[in-house]
Amino acid sequence: MTRISLTVNGKRYERDVAENRTLLRFLREDLGLIGTKEGCGAGECGACTVLFDGLTVNSCMVLAVEADGRAVETIEGEAKDGKLSDLQEAFQKHHAVQCGFCTPGMIMSTRELLHRTPKPTVAEIKEGIEGNFCRCTGYQQIVEAVLDVSGQLEKKGELRHA
Amino acid sequence: MLHGFRYAAPRSRSELLDLLAEHGDHAKVLAGGTDLLVNIRGGNMKPGLVIDVKRVEGYGGLAWDPAEGLSLLPAATINDVLRDKRVRANFPLLAVCAQDLASYQIRNRATVIGNVVNASPCSDMAPALLCLGARAEIASARGSRSVLFSEFFTGVKKTVLAKDEILERIVVPASAAGTKGEYRKLKRINGHDLGIVGVAIARKNGSLRIAVSSAAPTPVLVAGLPGTASVDEAVAAVLAAVSPISDVRCTKEYRLFMIETFVRRLMEEMK
Repeated sequence: MTRISLTVNGKRYERDVAENRTLLRFLREDLGLIGTKEGCGAGECGACTVLFDGLTVNSCMVLAVEADGRAVETIEGEAKDGKLSDLQEAFQKHHAVQCGFCTPGMIMSTRELLHRTPKPTVAEIKEGIEGNFCRCTGYQQIVEAVLDVSGQLEKKGELRHA
Repeated sequence: MLHGFRYAAPRSRSELLDLLAEHGDHAKVLAGGTDLLVNIRGGNMKPGLVIDVKRVEGYGGLAWDPAEGLSLLPAATINDVLRDKRVRANFPLLAVCAQDLASYQIRNRATVIGNVVNASPCSDMAPALLCLGARAEIASARGSRSVLFSEFFTGVKKTVLAKDEILERIVVPASAAGTKGEYRKLKRINGHDLGIVGVAIARKNGSLRIAVSSAAPTPVLVAGLPGTASVDEAVAAVLAAVSPISDVRCTKEYRLFMIETFVRRLMEEMK
């Protein structure tokens, strides 16, 4: 076991963790933050995406011990005081949630995208979620939600297939 | 569930080299973890000790020296390369290849050094490094050595690295700055995917270099072609150098066909 100290959604935690524990399992099983999902466990699907010092990572491929001294943000940090974030509201409004399993990862990926690119193009949104799979295949609504929250719903026309 | 292992995060280079000297035969180096942790989870690798090199002093990011060139250090991620203006200005081929590697969040973690040390035939960074004449600076407690990437790969997932050694710096020589380059990677989807074949072409001062991934046990470099080489001469030289196989991703014949197609297209585009 190794003692680690980190912040998750701005709250400080100190815990003993096994060296072979992934950050994903640490969040879900040690901290009870089960919003972050495990899909493939191999970096293909992006369901476990969280922000790690402000950048998206697949938390299934990060060891909890690597998070010592770092800042982690998860889907639980989106809503404040019981109120959904603007991004969550846009996902709801555009029906960007079907089964919901990919949604936490999609929100974290698009959150980071909006941090670095406040008005992303359709191509930039697609690149931003290239590592997040939606098996209900509702990508169009997800891209629309991100266009709406960044005040660019007029670009929706670019989404049609030729 | 991952098997039990010990974890070390040395802060100094000497501490790291001592750990590798003592435990190299059962240790694995952890940088981005995007290959290592998948291999551990799948049971393909069972290290007794995982050595995280990201906290070693002086191992972070990229460095630029006008005389020597660009240094890529062990913690330099693929997205670090993409965000660096000096890379885009001097070595655009590095950025083109980096852009095609995996997905955005993997590029936030995966390192350039990890990509080449993993030594997969489908490495996306190897074609750029081969075309640019980059070299690997390798260190161990026994001393240091320098190896050109054209000599670095020895087989599928095999390199010249001994078990107590670490690739601690990639140097892209200043003499390669200004090289024009392009990369074409055949994949099933326009996003996160492994390459079926990849072709990189680089031109500078009358020289032409072509590198191919997923076409032999190691990434392949065709050097020494004159800048005046015709499209047919370039195709002939590349096809003579590759030896693709049929596998789960496609047949040998399709690989050969697409390698030729990409060489022809890139030669036309980069006249």
